[in-house]
Amino acid sequence: MSFDFVTSGKPPISPREKKFSRLLLLFEDLVKVPIFGCQHCGECILSSTAFICSQRCPKRLRNGPCGGTGEGGTCEVYPDRKCVWYRIYYRSKFLNRLSMLYKLNKIHNWNLEGTASWLNVFKKRIGAPIFFVRGDKQKVKEILSDDIQRKN
Amino acid sequence: MTFKEKIESGKFIICGEICPPKSCDGDILREKSKYFKGVVDAVNITDNQTALVRLSSLASAKILLEEGVEPIMQMTCRDRNRIAIQSDLLGAAALGIQNLLCLTGDHQKFGDQPEAKGVFDLDSIQLLATVAKMNSGFLLSEQEMKKVPDFLIGAAANPFAEPLEMRLIRLHKKVKAGARFIQTQPVFDMDLFAHWMEKVVEMGLHEKCAILAGVMPVKSVKALYHMKKEVPGVKINDEYIRRLENASDPKEEGKNVAVEMIRTLRTIHGVRGIHLMPVMWESITPVIVQEAGLGTI
Repeated sequence: MSFDFVTSGKPPISPREKKFSRLLLLFEDLVKVPIFGCQHCGECILSSTAFICSQRCPKRLRNGPCGGTGEGGTCEVYPDRKCVWYRIYYRSKFLNRLSMLYKLNKIHNWNLEGTASWLNVFKKRIGAPIFFVRGDKQKVKEILSDDIQRKN
Repeated sequence: MTFKEKIESGKFIICGEICPPKSCDGDILREKSKYFKGVVDAVNITDNQTALVRLSSLASAKILLEEGVEPIMQMTCRDRNRIAIQSDLLGAAALGIQNLLCLTGDHQKFGDQPEAKGVFDLDSIQLLATVAKMNSGFLLSEQEMKKVPDFLIGAAANPFAEPLEMRLIRLHKKVKAGARFIQTQPVFDMDLFAHWMEKVVEMGLHEKCAILAGVMPVKSVKALYHMKKEVPGVKINDEYIRRLENASDPKEEGKNVAVEMIRTLRTIHGVRGIHLMPVMWESITPVIVQEAGLGTI
């Protein structure tokens, strides 16, 4: 059994890279913030959350909603807001990306906070985003039947 | 037989719940433990529930262990980062605590100190995976431990919040991360619960973990109103409210409803046990267990 669920801090971020990262962050400010509500966590999981930033959740959950989603999908902490994960679910369904929700997202590396995700992808600190999902329903079925096989 | 062995043996499980006091008076816990000894299989110890400061769940669990009641220590991610969590877990293992319930934790806004910093370094699923990793002999830093803990890990599930499919995905992830038993939010609407359970059975999750249905006996209809209004993610059947409204003795009626509920829950396919959680009414637990015909252990 492999337990690879902590984002690695390697290679360490060099001062030069930090400067370059700031430049890329400007791009994130202009594009990712207005479109996806990006919070600059530096460890982008937008592709597994149907392109809605999950880090706007007051608990910053990366693996699905807490138990407090209210009637009509309201957030328990700020009742005037919609639960981010409620929106992610319906968007995933609409975009046929439900299989992406089964992914276990790794524990956040706080060293990467405020760095550019693309640079981290390039440096192989985090995995590359998956833009296209084909045969979503089939994939969900495979995920579920895989478990049954493993049991036997 | 330990709680772990009971879960593996397929026996019908009964869990209780104790809320530690808001002071350093351990005798309150010793007093309360009498209601549970020989009545239930294990008792949940809440970890600063609804973000109110209480006697720590680690210390409370140790006290219960001394009293001969098997504790299920709750561990939330609100108050600790990954370093504190792993350290507390090692401490718990050293004290002989074997059962854990991994939760994300209520937001600090619901407590009496909303200005506190919420940590949420991990979420419940990542916490489950962390404990599973520790069970296999490693800390998160990949450092190997000389003595390996052996926790039975559980998680919570809410069958009533929308959307249902997202709840099932999350349950699936929790089981995959290592949860061996699942305690649900209190059931106040049997139809909704039965529907959720059907889906769980369809996914085959009931075979990989023991599903323990939550039952919350209430003293008065006021408590129900409060639950409906203030506690998010709880759905209450109108008939339930009506029954308590019309009852001449709401305490008695609250108990009767809980007993009936347990009888119905036992008949639902896939339900492996009951998690009784009367809030500040621990004394009712043995009465309900006896009247529901669950007998002594």
